[in-house]
Amino acid sequence: MSVPQKITSLGKVVVVGGCGFLGHHIVKLILERLPASQISVLDLRTTANRQDSPTVSYHDGDISDLDAMQAFFAKTKPDVVIHTASPHFHLPAAVHDKVNVTGTKNLLKAAQDSGVKAFVYTSSASVVLGPHTELVNADETWPLVTGDAQPEYYTTTKAYAESAVLEANRTPTSFLTCAIRPAGIFGEGDIQVLPPMINTYRTGKNKFQIGENENLFDFTYVGNVAYGHLLAAQALLHTHRILPTVPLDSEKVDGEAFFITNGQPVYFWDFIRAVWHAAGDRTKLSQVWHLDKDFAYVIGTVMENLFWVLGKKPTLTRAQARYSTMHKYHSIKKANARLGYKPLVDLEEGIKRGVQYILDQDEKAAQKKGQ
Amino acid sequence: MVRIGTVAYLATHPTQLRSIIQWKVWHTPVHERDESKECESLKRCFHFLQETSRSFAAVILELHPELLVPVTLFYVILRGLDTIEDDMTIPLEKKEPLLRNFDQILDQDGWTFTENGPNEKDRQLLVEFNVVIEEFKKLKPAYQTIIKDITKRMGNGMADYCSNAEHNEVGVNTIKDYELYCHHVAGIVGEGCTQLFVEGGLANPALLRRPELHESMGQLLQQVNIIRDVREDLDDKRRFYPREIWSKHVDTFEDLFKPENKEKALAVNSEMILNALQRADDCLYYLAGLKEQSVFNFCAIPQSMALATLELCFQNYDVYLKNVKITKGDACQLMTESTQNLQLVCEVFKRYTRKIHKRNNPNDPNFLKISIACGKIEQFVETIFPSQKAPIDAKKNPASAEEAERSRKEAEETKWDNIYMVIAVVLTISIITGLMLIAAWLAGARFDIAIHQFKEQLGNFLGSGGELRNATSTVAATPSSPGHSEL
Repeated sequence: MSVPQKITSLGKVVVVGGCGFLGHHIVKLILERLPASQISVLDLRTTANRQDSPTVSYHDGDISDLDAMQAFFAKTKPDVVIHTASPHFHLPAAVHDKVNVTGTKNLLKAAQDSGVKAFVYTSSASVVLGPHTELVNADETWPLVTGDAQPEYYTTTKAYAESAVLEANRTPTSFLTCAIRPAGIFGEGDIQVLPPMINTYRTGKNKFQIGENENLFDFTYVGNVAYGHLLAAQALLHTHRILPTVPLDSEKVDGEAFFITNGQPVYFWDFIRAVWHAAGDRTKLSQVWHLDKDFAYVIGTVMENLFWVLGKKPTLTRAQARYSTMHKYHSIKKANARLGYKPLVDLEEGIKRGVQYILDQDEKAAQKKGQ
Repeated sequence: MVRIGTVAYLATHPTQLRSIIQWKVWHTPVHERDESKECESLKRCFHFLQETSRSFAAVILELHPELLVPVTLFYVILRGLDTIEDDMTIPLEKKEPLLRNFDQILDQDGWTFTENGPNEKDRQLLVEFNVVIEEFKKLKPAYQTIIKDITKRMGNGMADYCSNAEHNEVGVNTIKDYELYCHHVAGIVGEGCTQLFVEGGLANPALLRRPELHESMGQLLQQVNIIRDVREDLDDKRRFYPREIWSKHVDTFEDLFKPENKEKALAVNSEMILNALQRADDCLYYLAGLKEQSVFNFCAIPQSMALATLELCFQNYDVYLKNVKITKGDACQLMTESTQNLQLVCEVFKRYTRKIHKRNNPNDPNFLKISIACGKIEQFVETIFPSQKAPIDAKKNPASAEEAERSRKEAEETKWDNIYMVIAVVLTISIITGLMLIAAWLAGARFDIAIHQFKEQLGNFLGSGGELRNATSTVAATPSSPGHSEL
């Protein structure tokens, strides 16, 4: 589809979770690429990651409160909703239920009632990842892995929310939805990918490698994920414009999920080494110890139990041993064909920006201490 | 003929020897040329093909009969062009028009050229070029047109480089220039071959609509040659490594070869190899478009060799010191693997890709780019030959919270259904039993006697059983059971 380019503004857009890591990058990118849009950021707390722009307004609100959401939507009357809010992975199951499932449904209800045209939901690439499979060039035909088959409750709730969003598509007929499934988001301000890696380097644990390092992994620069959301919103608005004409199945965006990655799967440890290198590491390959995959798994088991007894966080867990030795990469052909998605920032530049951000933060912290 | 060193090497490397023997014993050509039907001039052309080409003659000679002669002539004609270009004893003012008009020479019956220097290796080809022209005239007009067009473009390209003083003095400047050079000497050949294959009906015509694919076929082969021959070229005062790449590390091209610049030389090496490696997936894509086995072999063998050579050169400082070459055994193995099917060639590509990846140096400026290029090849292989299918068993997973709740309720319901069923069965049996007992009682059954006897027998049984258990510790028990005697 080449037509979505014609959409030059998202109109009135609500970015839910717009002060979060991904959310604020989305807000920034809308300002940059679709400056005519009027942005309302809705977040639990709107103190962090604020953009100083007359076209962005900030609103505190809790998406698990349906009445509050309906009131907010009735007042704002948005054209587009981009829903990126999600609790931290490690929080208890009840929080995931409340935010991911109930919160998403509340937003859908409020959006349907207030005549929203396009609703884009941030899902996760992990919704198709089970405990025993690897993802080798997986595409969107892979089934969701949820419930008892899904060891991560967070992921189950993400999948449920995604289903709810896609099921709401075209109810009413003028309400269009789609889901973006990013994989391994990193960049300025991330907390889950780069900081732990840098921490490993700084504590001198960069001389180890688990497994053969033949497993390809998708890491995605946050700006590219944001871009995927913008393209999705534009495509939905375009479909909305041609209503009641329904696009061909091969071009359809509404009611669909899309993997969004950097399109550059790399060997897992190569990515980490590139991050370490950007942070100053100059270890040679010959200095690296190779731990066998199964051995690491055993160590992980022992560590987890030992540290559980001691009440501390282990340095090597079974999950880490698995993640660092498995294939986890996806095909982005669908996003490329239907959204016209091509990553804006390549992996190398993404790492540079993300690591520099951490180094800058550390320097600021050090200066504060010095004063 | 066989050198002692070779014998000693093969004796200590049995797998290499095995590959050689396997190739020699088991390889049967897809097609063989029929010498009995050839006229003298054609035989002479084949002679020149074998004289002038080390590696290509073997694969060309096995080509499908439809393309055997056109490709042979295509090759010797370009070789003739090359022989003029290479010869430094021919003055530029004579050389340039020859190169630019070489396509017209193909129309001149009896044209020969005797002015090559005496040391020019392939000068005899031009001395007897009339036989080539004679055979060229017999080709189908469509083949003639293709060959002429490529000859003209290549001749003009060569003439441009010969008359370009800068190119001769300082070598190639930018990466773009370098790729343009490779285009003129190899990319165009890829285009010509593709047109011949499609014209002959042996390749998918769609290949002509994807010019970047055959361009990559030529580029990869040429770039690998340039990377591998850097030492030889330096000794011959030729430089093909673009300045844009080496100037990031050293001031002059010659500095690359100084031992103190080893690290820098290796950084240049990996950037050169990265550039070539990024073409590999296109090459596999191209191979997927070939329909006929001999054409596939013709294209796949050089590509596999190129990738193996690329791996051999990667992070290998010897490239700057001497001529490096893949071993005969490896070459034979690669030929065996490249003359079967695309999947096996993909495996070859994957194998060498991983070997490159294993030696990728994290401190190299192009570390991540190389990793990405390797990943791209692996991902491409997965797109044509997926190793994994979408799992079907996960389809019954609940898609939503409601569905999860529903299936939980359903499971609960089935559980209770089962319990109710058991209760019903037990109840039914009990009622029937009760009714039967009542009927028996009404008919005068003496339950008290039955119970008494039952108790007695049970007591006896347990009692003797207890005795038995005690007796096992001694020898054998006396099996006198009063219960039995009663029977």
